[in-house]
Amino acid sequence: MRKLLGLILLCAFPSVSIAADEQKSVLVLYSYSRLMPAVFEADQGLREGLPDVEAKRVGLYEEFFDEPRFGGEAYSDLMVQLLRGKYGSRPPDVIVAGGFEALRFLLTHRERLFPGVPVVHEGIMVASVPSLPSLPSDVIGNLVDPDVPRTLALALRLHPRATRLVVVTGKSPGHDREWEQSLRADVASVRGRVAVEFLSGLPHEQVLGRLAALGNEAVVFTPGYLMDGDGRAFNPLEALRGMLSASTAPIYVPYDTMLGSGVVGGYTRTFRTAGRETGRLADALLKGADPATLRVPPPEPATLYLDWREIRRWGINDRLIPDDAIVQYRRPSLWDAYREQLIIGGLALLLQALLILWLLTERFRRRRAERTAEKQRFELAHASRRAVAGELTAAIAHEINQPLGAILSNAEAAELMLDSGADRRVELREILADIRRDDLRAGEVIRRLRTLLAGREGEQKSFDVNELVLDAVAIVRSEAARRGVALEARTAAVPVSTVGDRIQLQQVLINLILNAADAVVGCPEAQRLVTLSVTASVPGGMTTLTVRDRGQGIPEANLSRIFDSFFTTKGHGMGLGLSIARTLVEAHGGRIHAANHPDGGALFSVELRQT
Amino acid sequence: MMSTPLIHIVDDDDSLRTAVLRLLSASGYEARGYASTGDFLLHANLEGPGCLLLDLNLPGPSGLELQEELLRRGVTLPVVFLTGRAGVPESVRAMKSGAEDFLTKPVERQTLLEALDRALARDASQRAARDGAERLLARFRRLTPRERDVFERIVIGRLNKQIADELGIAERTVKLQRAQLMEKLGVGSAAELGRFAERLKSLSP
Repeated sequence: MRKLLGLILLCAFPSVSIAADEQKSVLVLYSYSRLMPAVFEADQGLREGLPDVEAKRVGLYEEFFDEPRFGGEAYSDLMVQLLRGKYGSRPPDVIVAGGFEALRFLLTHRERLFPGVPVVHEGIMVASVPSLPSLPSDVIGNLVDPDVPRTLALALRLHPRATRLVVVTGKSPGHDREWEQSLRADVASVRGRVAVEFLSGLPHEQVLGRLAALGNEAVVFTPGYLMDGDGRAFNPLEALRGMLSASTAPIYVPYDTMLGSGVVGGYTRTFRTAGRETGRLADALLKGADPATLRVPPPEPATLYLDWREIRRWGINDRLIPDDAIVQYRRPSLWDAYREQLIIGGLALLLQALLILWLLTERFRRRRAERTAEKQRFELAHASRRAVAGELTAAIAHEINQPLGAILSNAEAAELMLDSGADRRVELREILADIRRDDLRAGEVIRRLRTLLAGREGEQKSFDVNELVLDAVAIVRSEAARRGVALEARTAAVPVSTVGDRIQLQQVLINLILNAADAVVGCPEAQRLVTLSVTASVPGGMTTLTVRDRGQGIPEANLSRIFDSFFTTKGHGMGLGLSIARTLVEAHGGRIHAANHPDGGALFSVELRQT
Repeated sequence: MMSTPLIHIVDDDDSLRTAVLRLLSASGYEARGYASTGDFLLHANLEGPGCLLLDLNLPGPSGLELQEELLRRGVTLPVVFLTGRAGVPESVRAMKSGAEDFLTKPVERQTLLEALDRALARDASQRAARDGAERLLARFRRLTPRERDVFERIVIGRLNKQIADELGIAERTVKLQRAQLMEKLGVGSAAELGRFAERLKSLSP
């Protein structure tokens, strides 16, 4: 609505400019649509090259031919009218021609529109020059050499297995035909190495279909197109996006605006750079430079841009990438991104690992030491258990083999008597009676041993020796009384602890008390007394526990053998008691010995380790 | 007239001793039991033929001590040990002291009797050897001093003439005495005389 109003006003009044009269201005004519990415970039560069625009000292006006959607003679005339209407009263001081169409228009109509105003061109390909009228000396600028052969050579180097080069261009008379012309010349450099195929002026869908069927033995190069074979308008990036989604082969391009869309890359000069160069030239001209003598600086060399994601995608050997390439979209390695943090973290981890290692080593050492100690303890325990076992075996062997031997001999004697045929019934009866008695006797031995030791593994508990004595006395007291023997216990004033199997040591003590009682049974009453005493030496030393009777004492000759398993002086004794007592005491790391008291009677001493 | 060999059983276990006595008696042996070493030394006939079946573990002096005591007294009765608890050290000591065998209780009849038979056989052969030596010495003692002189020279290989010269007697006298001593010693030839001399030599200390 407003545009329409503007147009009406434009027709009604010869001068429609409302800008400040004194201000110099630059008019930029772009061949393409305002919305083309290349135009954006170039415009940005231009403003960078013309700082006075931003400072509002120079006016900047832009017009767009919107080729190829609009074109033809009538359109050109309309543009002439438009420009004359808009800028006729206030012609620009410098004109910039962006693209082929714009330059050709100016070369044709400048003298009528803005006579004598110098022109700076940009975006004109070297290959297009022949199709233009010769350039006057006040039309200056850098021609574009997209350096396609370098890109093609690179593409073939990066894809050593490629056998085909497919070039895609469009149908627009300006941009597309210009490119096609240029590319047909450029591919000469690779012809012979690969088969070259042009997809030019095909309908978009058909292009996509062809690209989809390529396979990875092909390489594609395209500047995109503005118009497809059906005459539909595209902007090049649009066209390219379609191609990228369809293509099964890597695509190389000449424009920086296409980078990052999925193409591998290519040698390219950015539109922005070109725009900046153009801006500087325009600036110089605004400041009064003579276009005929103004030295146009050579364009910045094309730069190789590559997309890291595509390099990966197509399995390109990254050692083939030239050193001067700018590889974009490379995901920085963790190392690059977090170098400092990684170093600190790594050091921390290392320290931690060392610490853990040290702790583990310590733990291992401690474990080993514990195991060694445990093993030693076990071996010690095992050794004493073996000693007990050995002693018991010997004792049992002796005590059991006696009756067994008698039984066997009696049985064999009986057999012989039966074989003799004589009637020796009386003798046989005696033999059987003896056999029965010996059998019972053997059984009794085993029963007594079991009573003493069966099921006992040898506990290791701490207890008070005083209590041990009192308990033993309490157990035996009635039996002693039955024999008319008095018991007296003199415990230590303080608790005296030892570690071991309380029941086993109690058995030892009971055994000694009963022996002592037996020794005094036949004595006068004053002598029928058994005294127990507990004497603790220094803490950690030995506790001595004595059992004293006032009987006949022990014959000197027997003192050394009294603890032997088979030794007995009692008519009914088993000879086992003292042997087992010694074994049990020694298994507790203690000692037992027998002596005669100076005042008469036997004195048995048991020494136990204090804890 | 040789008397029947007697087996002496020394064991403090009445039951076992009785059983073994019964067994030996039923097997046709003469046997006597003793409850202790002292009992044995006091009451046993140590001169007669026989052998000793000895318990190793005795109250008072042990079986080994008895064995050693018998050796000291020159009693040659072979000893068979019988024990309820055979420790290696004891058995070694017993066998070193010349024990005939070392048996453990309970012992089977066959084993026991074989050991006792061996002991009795050894006793018999010891006695026979001792008897033979005594007969030899008795014959030798019948020689006159002069005959002994001649005997000594004959056995070291002197000729009659040399003997006559050494003793300062006639050669005829030497021949006569030679015949007499051969008759007294009961040998018929010079070779037999040589053997007699060898046996005699082996007896002399």
